[in-house]
Amino acid sequence: MTSRHWQRNVFILTFILPTLILYCLFMVYPIIQALYYSLFDWSGSSENKDFIGLKNFVDLMHDPIMWQAIGNDYFLVAGKMIGIMLLATFFAVSLTRFRLKFALFFRSIFFIPNIISVVVIGVLWAFIYNPQIGFLNSILSLITGTEVKTAWLGFPFHTIWMLLPPSIWAGIGFYMILLIAAIQGIPESYYEASSLEGAGQWHQFTHITLPLIWEQIKVSVLNIMMTTLNGSFVIVMIMTNGGPDNSTQVMGSYLYQMAFQQFHFGYGAAIGVVILIMSLITTVALQRIMRQETVEMN
Amino acid sequence: MSWKKRLSVLSAAALLTVFTLSGCGSSNDAASGTASTGTTASSGKGLTGDFEVQYFVGGYGDAWWKKVVEEFQTANPDLKIKVSAGPKINDQMKPRWIGGNPPDFVYIDGAGLNARQMIEDGQLEDLTEWYKTAKTVDGDLISESLTQAPEDYSGKTYNIPLALSSWGIFWDKKLFADNNWKAPTDFDSFVAVSKEIKAKGITPFIHTGIYPYYINNSILYPAMVSANNDDFSILQKIAANDPEAFKSPAVMTALNQIVTMRDDGIIDPAAVQLNHTDSQMLFLQHKDAFIANGLWMPNEMSKDVPEGFDFGFMPSITQKPGGKSIAVTSTATVGVAAKAKNKEAAYAFIQFIFAKKQASQWAELSGAPSNIKGDISASNAPAFVKQAAEYLNSKDTIVVPTITFNADVEKAMNDATVALTIGTIDPNGWIERVSAAAQKAAN
Repeated sequence: MTSRHWQRNVFILTFILPTLILYCLFMVYPIIQALYYSLFDWSGSSENKDFIGLKNFVDLMHDPIMWQAIGNDYFLVAGKMIGIMLLATFFAVSLTRFRLKFALFFRSIFFIPNIISVVVIGVLWAFIYNPQIGFLNSILSLITGTEVKTAWLGFPFHTIWMLLPPSIWAGIGFYMILLIAAIQGIPESYYEASSLEGAGQWHQFTHITLPLIWEQIKVSVLNIMMTTLNGSFVIVMIMTNGGPDNSTQVMGSYLYQMAFQQFHFGYGAAIGVVILIMSLITTVALQRIMRQETVEMN
Repeated sequence: MSWKKRLSVLSAAALLTVFTLSGCGSSNDAASGTASTGTTASSGKGLTGDFEVQYFVGGYGDAWWKKVVEEFQTANPDLKIKVSAGPKINDQMKPRWIGGNPPDFVYIDGAGLNARQMIEDGQLEDLTEWYKTAKTVDGDLISESLTQAPEDYSGKTYNIPLALSSWGIFWDKKLFADNNWKAPTDFDSFVAVSKEIKAKGITPFIHTGIYPYYINNSILYPAMVSANNDDFSILQKIAANDPEAFKSPAVMTALNQIVTMRDDGIIDPAAVQLNHTDSQMLFLQHKDAFIANGLWMPNEMSKDVPEGFDFGFMPSITQKPGGKSIAVTSTATVGVAAKAKNKEAAYAFIQFIFAKKQASQWAELSGAPSNIKGDISASNAPAFVKQAAEYLNSKDTIVVPTITFNADVEKAMNDATVALTIGTIDPNGWIERVSAAAQKAAN
């Protein structure tokens, strides 16, 4: 019996250990290192580090660019959540419930941005926004009949708004596929029964589809939040480099700026810790907000 | 599941782990390398031991480096030279600098290396005394072989400029000739011709708004020097984080010139959102008549230059009528690691690469002027490189030596200038912001 028990444990460990080791090596260890470095005044290239306790965090509290970055991050989180979820849900429902002729074609088209690198998306949209030779100004010039030369990424304020369309465009496909899979898992008989009772498409959507795909919506919203807080710096670096005058800076791009371009690695690590803490707090908060009794299909 | 089967699963999982981990380990080898303790002969020739050279491969390429390392190897057959080079080498070598195991010789260029920061971090050898008497392999004093002297760090020398380039303003001579526009010689003529250009439906001036150091180096800093009676000490004071420097009237005069350019509609509103490639493309397409850039630009865009395009260049346009041109130089320097294991070989290598013949060799193989004095007119260097070299040696040009600003102060100046060009702050706002950054950096 003991031998069987031991064998069982070895068997379980065989599967757990490799992943656990890799997880510790590439996730836990860097997080601990970041926490450690955030307590130092360190250029990132010197052999010497000065221990300064929590001073980096105190400085962060008084850094107006950091507050701007946090505001921009949460603006992108909110904008992407609303934009992506609305459009992804709309497309998912359209392509499953409305029996469109070219559903497969549209599904592929909407998914294409997901297989393009974010860097390429950034460059592509920078061209669309180009004031002199960009697609957007050309279209507007054609419609209005006057030459439009708007610098879409150079407004004195609120330029961050312009980063929403590429971010939403790039994100829709994945969540659409996720929701399509969820909708396709709902038995057709539910819809048939509700039709017989006289329920229309909107009623079916709010009373059948939405409650039964709520778990997927929840996962999608959390995933959008986490990937935005951790990854929006790529599109910022490519399209605006945080400018003009730091108005599009997000926490990730500011971290990169401080750690690798202004040689304040300790300060950059502190920003990383703030990103981690804020991601955790936001995850917990969102889970509480979106808590809803699970509806199960029999 | 039988025990045998379980064992095979266990073995497979263990192997997977080992392979994954060994893969991670090996990926670091390229950057970490080996630099064992070297012993050297005392003379310049016949050096022995290990010697490691680190150089960044960027706009200047690596053809010259390969050639000069080969020549140095031939001159020192018993020296075991290890080359650590590439476009990402600065990042790859960082762990070794942090770990106190740097290469012996370093070429400071590209992202990730900042000479001032390296000095503050105690990573570069103090070359002050050695440099005073150091001679090239030709027997000339290195100090007398350079067009630009090394940057002064509180009376000390740590790095020596090897590549020399200049910031300035470009235009297309053919476009100007076709429209009977006169090339500017000073700020007044620049503003006057810009108005003519604008009347023709072309935007007069573009810069790289995403990287505002282009406009700072080509317009703002030369303007400060001109307004400071051609005295570049004002830039050195800024580099020393002296907040008093910003109280100089020269700073306000220079900032007001940018305000004039903004208010007269000379600056292309598109500039604020463009990177260097996009702004250069618009310039080459004649969407804009002038561009703030560096001498490397024609080479960088060589594949996209339209036929007949004839580059005109001037280091500065902000001087008063009759005033001297101000050339803010851009240099890439070389140094010896403070913890180098073979310093003698590193010194000998510096003496080797600053030989007179390298002036032509660098110009030919790197497509840019070098900092080594020497006649390159007979070389195969591109025409614009020869012109630029002439410019930098002209008596009518004030050549501003290499000045490295504190990274925080430079960022503050970049951000503030872009804000000034789009009108979100005024010159007083610029001064206030940058003074605060300098004050903070000084503490």
